[in-house]
Amino acid sequence: MRNRLRWWSTLPVLALILTACGPKAEPAEQVVAQELRVNLAGEPQTLDPNRASWAGDLSVISQVFEGLLGFNQDLSIKAVGARDIPSVANNGISADGLTFTFKLRDGVKWSDGQPVTAQNYEYSIKRTLSPELAGEYSFLLMDINGAEAYNGSGAKSPAEQQQLRDAVGVKAVDNSTLQITLARQSFSFLQRMALWPAYPVRQDIIEKAGDQWTEPPTYIGNGPFKLTGWVHQDHLTLEPNPSYWGAKPKLSKIVLKIITDVNTELAAYKNGELEMSRVPPGTEKTILEDPVLSKEVLRYNELVTFAFQFNVTRPPFDNVKVRQAINTAIDREAFINQVRAGVGKAAYSWVPPGMPGHDPELGKQYAFNVARAKQVLAEAGYPDGKGLPPIKFQFADTAGNRVIAQFLQGQMKDNLGISIELDPMEPKAFQQTVNEEKHMWAWFGWGADYPDPDNWLPDIFGTGASINHTLYSNPKFDELKTRALAEPDPARRLDLWKQAHKLVIDDAPIATMNYRERFVLVKPYVKGLKTTSMDHQISGDLFLPGVSLEKH
Amino acid sequence: MSSQSQPANAAFPAPVQVAARPARSLWRDAFGRLLRNRLALASGLVILVLSVLALFAPLVSPHDPIKQNLFAIQRSPSWDHWLGTDFLGRDVLARLIYGARTSLSVGLFTQLVVLSIGLPLGAAAGYLSSRWDNALMRFTDVMYAFPDLLLIILLRAILGGSIYMVFLAIGLVAWVNIARLVRGQVLSQKSGEYVTAARALGASGPYILARHILPNALGPVIVATTFLIPRAIFAEAALSYIGIGVKPPTPSWGSMIQDGFGVIFAAPYLVLFPAIAIAVVMMAFTFLGDGLRDALDPRLRGAEGRFR
Amino acid sequence: MLKYTIRRLLWMVPVLLAVTSVTFILMHLVPGGPWDREKTLPAQVVTNLNARYGLDLPLWHQYVRYLLNLLRGDLGVSYTFQDRNVTTILRQGLPVTATLGIVAFGWAMVLGISLGMAAALRRNSATDYFSVFFATMFASIPGFVLAIVLIIIFSVWLHLLPTSGWGSPKHLLMPALALGALPAALIARITRASVLEVLRQDYVRTAYAKGLMDRTIFYKHVLRNALIPVLSIAGPELAFLVTGSFIIEQVFSVPGIGRLFVQGVFARDYGLIMGSILFYTLIIALLNLVVDLAYAVVDPRIRYA
Repeated sequence: MRNRLRWWSTLPVLALILTACGPKAEPAEQVVAQELRVNLAGEPQTLDPNRASWAGDLSVISQVFEGLLGFNQDLSIKAVGARDIPSVANNGISADGLTFTFKLRDGVKWSDGQPVTAQNYEYSIKRTLSPELAGEYSFLLMDINGAEAYNGSGAKSPAEQQQLRDAVGVKAVDNSTLQITLARQSFSFLQRMALWPAYPVRQDIIEKAGDQWTEPPTYIGNGPFKLTGWVHQDHLTLEPNPSYWGAKPKLSKIVLKIITDVNTELAAYKNGELEMSRVPPGTEKTILEDPVLSKEVLRYNELVTFAFQFNVTRPPFDNVKVRQAINTAIDREAFINQVRAGVGKAAYSWVPPGMPGHDPELGKQYAFNVARAKQVLAEAGYPDGKGLPPIKFQFADTAGNRVIAQFLQGQMKDNLGISIELDPMEPKAFQQTVNEEKHMWAWFGWGADYPDPDNWLPDIFGTGASINHTLYSNPKFDELKTRALAEPDPARRLDLWKQAHKLVIDDAPIATMNYRERFVLVKPYVKGLKTTSMDHQISGDLFLPGVSLEKH
Repeated sequence: MSSQSQPANAAFPAPVQVAARPARSLWRDAFGRLLRNRLALASGLVILVLSVLALFAPLVSPHDPIKQNLFAIQRSPSWDHWLGTDFLGRDVLARLIYGARTSLSVGLFTQLVVLSIGLPLGAAAGYLSSRWDNALMRFTDVMYAFPDLLLIILLRAILGGSIYMVFLAIGLVAWVNIARLVRGQVLSQKSGEYVTAARALGASGPYILARHILPNALGPVIVATTFLIPRAIFAEAALSYIGIGVKPPTPSWGSMIQDGFGVIFAAPYLVLFPAIAIAVVMMAFTFLGDGLRDALDPRLRGAEGRFR
Repeated sequence: MLKYTIRRLLWMVPVLLAVTSVTFILMHLVPGGPWDREKTLPAQVVTNLNARYGLDLPLWHQYVRYLLNLLRGDLGVSYTFQDRNVTTILRQGLPVTATLGIVAFGWAMVLGISLGMAAALRRNSATDYFSVFFATMFASIPGFVLAIVLIIIFSVWLHLLPTSGWGSPKHLLMPALALGALPAALIARITRASVLEVLRQDYVRTAYAKGLMDRTIFYKHVLRNALIPVLSIAGPELAFLVTGSFIIEQVFSVPGIGRLFVQGVFARDYGLIMGSILFYTLIIALLNLVVDLAYAVVDPRIRYA
């Protein structure tokens, strides 16, 4: 009796084991021809071009929409929805450089077959600028005449708002001519017209469907693909847009999975669920030593720079020599080559390679040199770090930032004899600290919105500029900045930016650390992938129509 | 060991003859029995050894736990580095030894905090009138659903991120489980005959609780408490990401696992070794807990080892 | 009993109100707001965003507005998922998380209780030591590590299961296994401790002495009484499982609601925070009520006035 009772109690366990061993699962499905499966890595925040800001959103939007202008692989501008790039020569730009006239290409259609008109563009740009929509990237279009006034009219009456909206310098002259008037000259305006806030959208649809127009039946675009399915937080499906004016995509389907963990993404790639995968940082060396995976590695530079930013109003960082000494005491090459297994590139200046205005000669004085660093620190009045006030280094606490922070701490201790305290913070609390300039020394990075120094220098290093959190202020820089922003001649403009850039590097309000390099795995049967240094979330996402899959 | 021992796996004991026994205090009695339980004793020794290692880490540790070697990144275990090196070339064994300081104290002290809140509140709710019960239990409902993460972020902003905040933060969150568990136990025990008997003899409420009900109800509570140890160790690591507790580069087992997880495809041992350390500690506390429970069992007096 | 149940249901109103009020106050007190981005937003954009979402109103006004909308079943908007409102987000994710949670809870209870009973009845046997080993292992491995180990074994090595996603029973297996592991271990250990406790009670001995058969003793006395602490643990565990786990949903990319609260907190997505906390409170309060009722069913000595 006793014995029976004993094993009786284990019955449920047995039942469970048996069911678990039941029908065997089948191996993962084979790839269907011309179906590309990639990972978007997160649920899009919004697919509305006038509001989007996140890289994943842009990976989708750039398949479903296209603007008047776009980028070539080398990031030069090309005409897409426009017949050609406006210039003074083709009467697209007025002599004073303030009026731009875009002639729309014939035969460009929405995915529901309707023609794309200049009115669509006018509506979209004004919608981006609308205070009520609160589009985060509206600042890209602030050079347009009346844009600031309309964008800042949130507290005004509807009638006044309407008046300001009508006064914005964007006008559909006829169905195929869009005229834009600027408030001030801007060389990089055309580049900004190639970005998503200026992609056309449909007034009729948005007014009918409201904020939720971004779901498949109503999400109508003019790009090479259309969105056919969106299973929230799981995947999105894109299929070729039958009404597309240009070359038809070779792919019959793109599945944008939403795999949120990078380890899982790599596992999914190994299991044949994805054609492309990111690699968890720190795993690159193992991948490069793997006989199979090493042949599937795709690497390319991105327009992203990381740096340690000093608060130059707080001692000891108000002393330029201290900042320079620290700049010289960081062994960037060892970090890149050893800790990061050669992924990325040591950065000695701010504007990254591949971007107009990059100067490889800049920052040479900061090449790793312990003796020199010590000497400069002594010149600053702190021989061997003696007499320095306590130093705190703030960072948003993520696994990657943790590595860099501890590396920095080790470098300061080993090379300068300085003990710094690490202050890891919850990301939003960190951002607020930096935005209010309450930090002492903080980690930050910057990625290009468009490939021009206009996007890289004035907002970050100009006195009182919106993103200037070093509180760096140099009247010379400000003067160069003002001249460069207004300079119409491309060569002279770049030269002014170079001078400004040099000032920043010499004054060292930041200690640049590294330029980012993308390191991804791509199955060998994926052909025609064209990457740029400004890809969004998915590698090659500016040129997916050219991608095809081979038999494998 | 008593001469009346039964076969080792006896499921049902024969009725125990109540032996004549000297009047000893419950707790001293229990301690004596605990010492005679070999498994529990061995477990206690393991914990003691680990604590001593942690305490004398600088003398024991083969390397400096925070010294980086950029030219020995993520090396597999070798003669120089018995357990390998991490993503900054630091010795994993040294970090494990030093990490024991944080992780063991977190594992222990959070339990003390949790028990000292959960035990009295749960016991009170179970024993007192239903009105009190309701009030206390609705309070635990609120605490269960409490947005702890927000509170912790706020506390860190106001009070800073010392290690004591870890005890506070985990204690604040984890006591509700214990409280509900204790309450359930007390509810089911308080109508027992021995309680009625004690009450009839004029014993006070707290006395009955401490002397009669709790010793009878402690087994599951001890188990739940041992489960809190690894949870607390992981929570410490998670909290360190909000800036609470030990800051990098100071090691802790939880943060070693958390940091190692990112490179699990490249260096799985960075996760494996601290996980083993946590498992050993948990195992030791499990056996110690079992022993403690047996030792506290009032019905076992004078009949130790009967069910062993 | 009915009266008790009704009273308890009514009590949920103040509990909900308390939790939401505290949450609302806390989320506005914590440093950092929704617009503190890595890429600092221009001041005008922040002003426009605040106006769009009513964040420029005084806090009490915002709270009253939230409560009024709540009465109409409107949980507000999310800043993280701008294309859906919070009600839709919860509605779409709940079935996924609930399915996963119930399956995980199911296997955890079945395995946990049987393993626990087996271990208690055969103390110091191989079964007992296996249960200790099993429990210690699953308690000492954090969920995210267990999850990735499962993925490596079943997807990368054996190619048996998809790594992530949702939609078929195959997708369910690994997350359910990983999610239920710790509760199973805990329930197994609690059951063992509890059964041992009950076995020593006088009434069990009396029953045994009376010569009652094992099975009768087991059903009538041991099982019932041993279930009390299991129930105490199971209620909150079930609540935890059906509201989802951040880690499991993150690693297996499960499109549920388990990540919403943490995501909401780290994004300062007020709508998401309030919505998920509200939902969580509701589930907790309900399940704790169910547990209390179950106490009385299992152990007739427990009575509620």
